[in-house]
Amino acid sequence: MEVKSAMTRARRGLREERRLYIVAVSSLAVAFLCLGATLLGVTNLDAAADRWGQSGRITLFLKDDADPQDIAQLRVVLEGLSDVREVTHVTPEQAKASFLEEADVGADLSSLPKEVFPASLEVSLVNGVTRERSESIATRLGQFRAVSDVESYRSWFQKLDDLLWGARMLAAGLALLVMFCVIAVIGNTIRLAVARRRQEIEVMKLCGATNGFVRGPFVLEGMFQGFASALLAVLALLVGYLALHESVDSTLAALTGSRVVFLGVWTWLLLLIGGALIGAIGSALSVRRYLAV
Amino acid sequence: MQGTKVVRPFPFFRAGARASQPQLAKPILVLEDVYKFFRPDQPTLRGVNLKVERGEFAFITGPSGAGKSTLLKLLYRELMVDEGRVLFCGRDIGRLTDKSIPFLRRNLGIVFQDFRIIDHWTVFENIAVALEILSMPQRLIRSRVAEALERVGLNGRGDEQTSNLSGGEKQRVAVARAIVPEPALILADEPTGNLDPHLAIDILTLFEEINSTGTTVLFATHDHSLISKRDHRLISIDEGRVVEARQGLKDWPGSGIHTLVG
Repeated sequence: MEVKSAMTRARRGLREERRLYIVAVSSLAVAFLCLGATLLGVTNLDAAADRWGQSGRITLFLKDDADPQDIAQLRVVLEGLSDVREVTHVTPEQAKASFLEEADVGADLSSLPKEVFPASLEVSLVNGVTRERSESIATRLGQFRAVSDVESYRSWFQKLDDLLWGARMLAAGLALLVMFCVIAVIGNTIRLAVARRRQEIEVMKLCGATNGFVRGPFVLEGMFQGFASALLAVLALLVGYLALHESVDSTLAALTGSRVVFLGVWTWLLLLIGGALIGAIGSALSVRRYLAV
Repeated sequence: MQGTKVVRPFPFFRAGARASQPQLAKPILVLEDVYKFFRPDQPTLRGVNLKVERGEFAFITGPSGAGKSTLLKLLYRELMVDEGRVLFCGRDIGRLTDKSIPFLRRNLGIVFQDFRIIDHWTVFENIAVALEILSMPQRLIRSRVAEALERVGLNGRGDEQTSNLSGGEKQRVAVARAIVPEPALILADEPTGNLDPHLAIDILTLFEEINSTGTTVLFATHDHSLISKRDHRLISIDEGRVVEARQGLKDWPGSGIHTLVG
């Protein structure tokens, strides 16, 4: 009954102070949108890293004067490894043709000599091979006589890891900032609401209302503001995602081999629940400070 | 010293209902040598001793600044006594913790000169708030509010916006809010101060009707015309001291009200 009564009074408060709350919710939605966009970036970087990690690849560049028998022997060794799914021999001609097909630099590169493109063995690893295992295989293969260089894409993974770490830190920093923003904005909004409803509060106190009874609706109103702001931000992100993902998808697929993904269910649920919770905390702190009952 | 002992919340002690014999035997309100200071050298109330029996109707009167409102504020714990004791239903309300004060106030109905009703609420909402605080079910709240509206002569006007009401009607809404939880004691602080003489008599009659059902009423006023028309007990305060007349002034032999209330 207490909760029901608090909800009824909170609904009335939201209706009466709607202009004030619309301004607050709009400002907070922008803050949540920034956080959501960063989380979306982290989610997509994570997805790309995951995809790259799972579709492990090693390129063995062969010496120009490599003995065909050595290359054949190397292929046999590779195909015998349980971690290897497929081995493809790419000749300099094939490498050149493939480069010319994929390159989009707007200049005629067909005159490049085929020696520029070394022959290689493209090794595809089975799904689930860890990065460490992939590194270990690459190190061992580099010792073969026919191999001039091994590319295990370690530096790419390192860069991606660094990027992911940076993005996560940015998201964490933004989350903290948004938390302070929400607490400050909702705190001030509730303070204004308390000032405007001073007479109601006084009447309730004289009728024997407890602190909880007076404070309850304000906390619910703060909770609603936090939730509504987060919901608005998630919806705006979703609309943006639906509008742009098709055009971005092909570019991203070409660059990273992965497609754009939206925030996971747990992430947006966390945003909504977190928004409501921080809203309630901001409101409770403000009511405690400005409502001496 | 406040807060050293936890006092349990007051049980509801509604007018004329289920009071035990020992409770009934006790006066509803006792003030023992009460002092209240706002300035150290000049007490607003000095050594007030007072006893109010259950079911009484008493006027509290005196010139402006005499301490009428201060006395009432001590009763609903808006202010704390500096010396002495205030016993409500036998309990020292000066020793109540902050958390217990709401439970004291649930036993009181308080009416003010400036009505203190919320203009943007309806009449129903203004009265129902006193019952919502008690966590009553909506069905019961509706019937109790309707009953209270009938008692104050505003039957069927629950849906009206209070901003559209006249001063007298607003005061009736305030009275309805005070009586709807069936308090043991009604404290009225100059409730007719903003009303014309005709409406003042109406409101006084309303309080008398409430009193006739067993509710104790303390009615603070400096309106001599009201006091002189009734026979109720008169508690006069002057310069912080209580000068008490056991009976009203209507038939007070050989002296006018001015001798008592200045």
